[in-house]
Amino acid sequence: MDQLLQHALNAMILGGTYALLGIGLTLIFGIMRVVNFTHGELYAFGAYMMYMWVMLIGANFVVSIALAVALGVLLGAGIEILLLRRLRGADIDTTMLVMIGAWIAMQNTEQLVWSGVAKSIDSPFPSAPLVMGGVSVSWTRLFVFAVAVMLIAGTWVLIQKTRLGKAMRATFQDREAAALMGVRIDRVHTATFAIGSGLAAAAGALLGPVFVVYPTIGDLASLKAFAIVILGGLGSIPGATIGGFILAFMEELGAGYVSSGYRDAMGFLLIIVILLVKPTGLFARKERIG
Amino acid sequence: MSRAVTLAWVVFLFTLPLWMDNLYFLHVLIMAGIFIVAAMSLNLLLGYTGQLSLGHVAFFGIGAYVSSLCSLGFEIHVFDVPVGLAPKPVWLSMIVAVVFAGLCGWMIGKISFKVRGAYFVIVSVSFAEVTRLVALNWLELTQGPMALNNIPFLKLWLPGIGDIDVLGKMPNYYLVLVVAVVTYVIIRRLVHSRAGRAMIALRENEPLATSVGIDVTRFLVLATVVSAALAGLAGAVYAQYVRIVDPDVFLFIYTVTMVIMVVTGGKGTLAGPIVGGLIFGILPELLRGFEVQPEIQWVVYGVLMILIVYFLPEGIVPAVRDGWRRVGGRSGAPPAQPAPATPAGATPATAEASP
Amino acid sequence: MHTRTAKLALALLGATLLAGPALAQETIKIGVTQPLTGAFAASGNYVAQGARIAETEINAAGGVLGKKIQLVVEDNKSNPTEAVATVEKLIVRDKVPVIMGAWSSTLTLAVMPKLQEYKVPMVVETSSSGKITTSGNPYIFRISPTSEMEAVAFKPLVPKLAIKKADFLNTNNDFGIGSAAEYSKMLKAQGVAVGVMETMDPKATDFSAQLTRIKASGGDTLFVTTAVEQVTLILKQAKELQLNTRIITTGGSNSPDQLIAQAGDAANGSFHTVFFPPWFPEVVTNPEPAKRYMDEWKKRGHEPGGLTEGFRGYDGIYTIVEAIKIAGKAEPAAIKDALWKTKVKGIYGNIAFIKQGPAGSESGQNIPSVYLVKIDGGKVVKSGL
Repeated sequence: MDQLLQHALNAMILGGTYALLGIGLTLIFGIMRVVNFTHGELYAFGAYMMYMWVMLIGANFVVSIALAVALGVLLGAGIEILLLRRLRGADIDTTMLVMIGAWIAMQNTEQLVWSGVAKSIDSPFPSAPLVMGGVSVSWTRLFVFAVAVMLIAGTWVLIQKTRLGKAMRATFQDREAAALMGVRIDRVHTATFAIGSGLAAAAGALLGPVFVVYPTIGDLASLKAFAIVILGGLGSIPGATIGGFILAFMEELGAGYVSSGYRDAMGFLLIIVILLVKPTGLFARKERIG
Repeated sequence: MSRAVTLAWVVFLFTLPLWMDNLYFLHVLIMAGIFIVAAMSLNLLLGYTGQLSLGHVAFFGIGAYVSSLCSLGFEIHVFDVPVGLAPKPVWLSMIVAVVFAGLCGWMIGKISFKVRGAYFVIVSVSFAEVTRLVALNWLELTQGPMALNNIPFLKLWLPGIGDIDVLGKMPNYYLVLVVAVVTYVIIRRLVHSRAGRAMIALRENEPLATSVGIDVTRFLVLATVVSAALAGLAGAVYAQYVRIVDPDVFLFIYTVTMVIMVVTGGKGTLAGPIVGGLIFGILPELLRGFEVQPEIQWVVYGVLMILIVYFLPEGIVPAVRDGWRRVGGRSGAPPAQPAPATPAGATPATAEASP
Repeated sequence: MHTRTAKLALALLGATLLAGPALAQETIKIGVTQPLTGAFAASGNYVAQGARIAETEINAAGGVLGKKIQLVVEDNKSNPTEAVATVEKLIVRDKVPVIMGAWSSTLTLAVMPKLQEYKVPMVVETSSSGKITTSGNPYIFRISPTSEMEAVAFKPLVPKLAIKKADFLNTNNDFGIGSAAEYSKMLKAQGVAVGVMETMDPKATDFSAQLTRIKASGGDTLFVTTAVEQVTLILKQAKELQLNTRIITTGGSNSPDQLIAQAGDAANGSFHTVFFPPWFPEVVTNPEPAKRYMDEWKKRGHEPGGLTEGFRGYDGIYTIVEAIKIAGKAEPAAIKDALWKTKVKGIYGNIAFIKQGPAGSESGQNIPSVYLVKIDGGKVVKSGL
């Protein structure tokens, strides 16, 4: 029983960051129709920025997270303005190729700058875990979960309650109509990509201290984000949130009771099955494109 | 004229090892050749049917693993019942690999009918990732990260020459060259057939193609099967040449390498993947001479890929061809349509209309 | 269209052909293949740094056979296929007569057929899998201990530590599987119960599922076999999950100083087998080279945590150079024969090769010392071996 509870707790905590990753990707796809292959690199970027601020500069842990996210937002805005703005209206394959090119360039730049040796980031929290009966969880992970939940809630509020969010939703539903109504599509796109990138960087900055940071961490993050948004349906924020938790539970329970080797395979097997049965994902409202 | 040059080129390639004693360069050419075969097979999907398949390396890896496992033999336990296979000759293993890869292609082709666009892309990526994870974790069958080692090389019998061990650089060079030529001929015949025209119609305008009675599924599946089988062939040749296969053969980066080759050379052209493959297969070795770190090389690849999508969206081969015609090609043919000025305009076939 | 393509391809080929041949050889080249990136990057870089120290020292002392030595270091990216490619490059392109490599057992096993194909000897500086020296490859000369040697050396400690039930967590490669097999065999022979044997991918970073299962198994000791990156994470995550068993890492690539630096107090109470204890250099067989190596390592500002790994590269290069000296020429066949006669006062101990494997095609195996240390209060202490 303790084992099951422990697995469930682990999954819950992991699910928070997965949801963060998924929301960023699904937001960008839903509004911009861009399959963002650089998503994992922004995750890695967030983690490396965290390493830089905490370990090299010696900044405060929480401040470092904020800085890493802010830099992720800036980088995302830069990518959108530099690479994607001129591709608006191009077909999905063209933007995908550009994003793949950007992904390769970014990942290898990381390798050049930070070398291939894994870096670890110190956490200011006590290493003794919080123990509740037979289960335990580290303070670092609890903190990560709390911040992830706050960021998810924050994103939700931003989209539902602010002017920018309104413009984003309008663009999501009908780009031409929104443009006719005076929504500045360019700005919405830049903001969307920046926010999505910031969320990916946040996930990286949060998980960096839990695991280790190396140049190719983004690859698995990208693939998992893909799995999450497919589970939830491309473009659906609640879908991505729930998808993140589903994936975490599948992985953790699969690893605990089936085989730890197939941990990372669970999500992909699930999405292949889901796409065969219900191609639009579990929660998508919008019809599939193509 | 054109035919003569093609012939001269083939003769040049066939005599190359006879006067070139740089074994390392032959090795580079062999690896480039294997990737060119894979890129040509990808081009069938990417270029001719317009399906952005980003899991292509799965077929390559499946070809490599299936052929290796057949030639090495294996024993696994299904619910404690041992299931085994005694080592088979390499030529037979390679055929099994091609057939098996083709079957996987059929499966993916069926899925591709259900989902398109971004969904298809992600399904294909996921498919490759699942194959990688299976290869990594099914230790009993694949040895996981320990890799399949000591894979037997191909033994052939040729009339007039007798038995040949395809071991070392020269025999492998010829093997790859023959496989590349055969692949080229197969793809050429296919795209010039009725099926090929149907595929192109599909790429240009799917609803229209359907409305004039083209069986979309059938041709998509056909293209995927042929493409997967050829990629499997490339994988099988690769395995018996390098004689070691590990799960990293399924890494996404190899799919990307193939995509870059096709897109750079020119998707939907027969020569495109060859030109792209030669550039990206040999360029790294040229860059080595300048002591360039591999990371810088990959950064250059990434940037190059972006630039090509922006400025040469059709790829090198069509650009060179059009450029030649414009400066007054011999034939005096009417000028081809002007090169598109914007990337958006470069994709007239896009279904999504832009304002 | 074919014309243009053909011309382009021809031009490209021509350009490549011109860029071909290498410069005239004035140095003796020694090939090194190490994982400088990927899952084993930390250890691979340490070994390469140790090898570079040996290169500088040897050249400062006049080189060998009147020529300077030159290391050609290739990155095998922690991947077996890449490892084969690096060896192919070293032998065919750089024409090295001898190689040192390839760190992990899987990488070494991967390149072994190539050594046989090109008849080039390789000094193995780290790998521990028994298969390497027993599979009948006469081009292999290993200076590091096998997992079996390590397990045998560990035997007297089993009653001392009062181990009753042991669990295992190891990478699912030759290194991890080989070590777990040898240790569990030895423990069972000592009457110790073996609980769960969990494996992990060398690239994995989250072990919560495995550790939760190990916790449920309830053994008193957990044997962990992997490189330092994963050991760090396992120690941290074990503490998070309140896994209070004794953790012993095997294989000698655990860099205890790095564990203290990166895992903090999660490292306290853990045991580690090492093949060179820089904390008490007086106990090693040859303190003189050990001191020289440690001083230079410090002077170069390398990570102190790498000392337990870098010496492998240092010893490997000295062994190779001694063999070249005995051979009298830098040719593969002569170096291979000379390696059998080579004796080096190294940090691994007195390096010399005994025959292992099937008669007629034996591999060389050195018998080094094994030490077990403990991390206590953020410090490395002796643990009675």
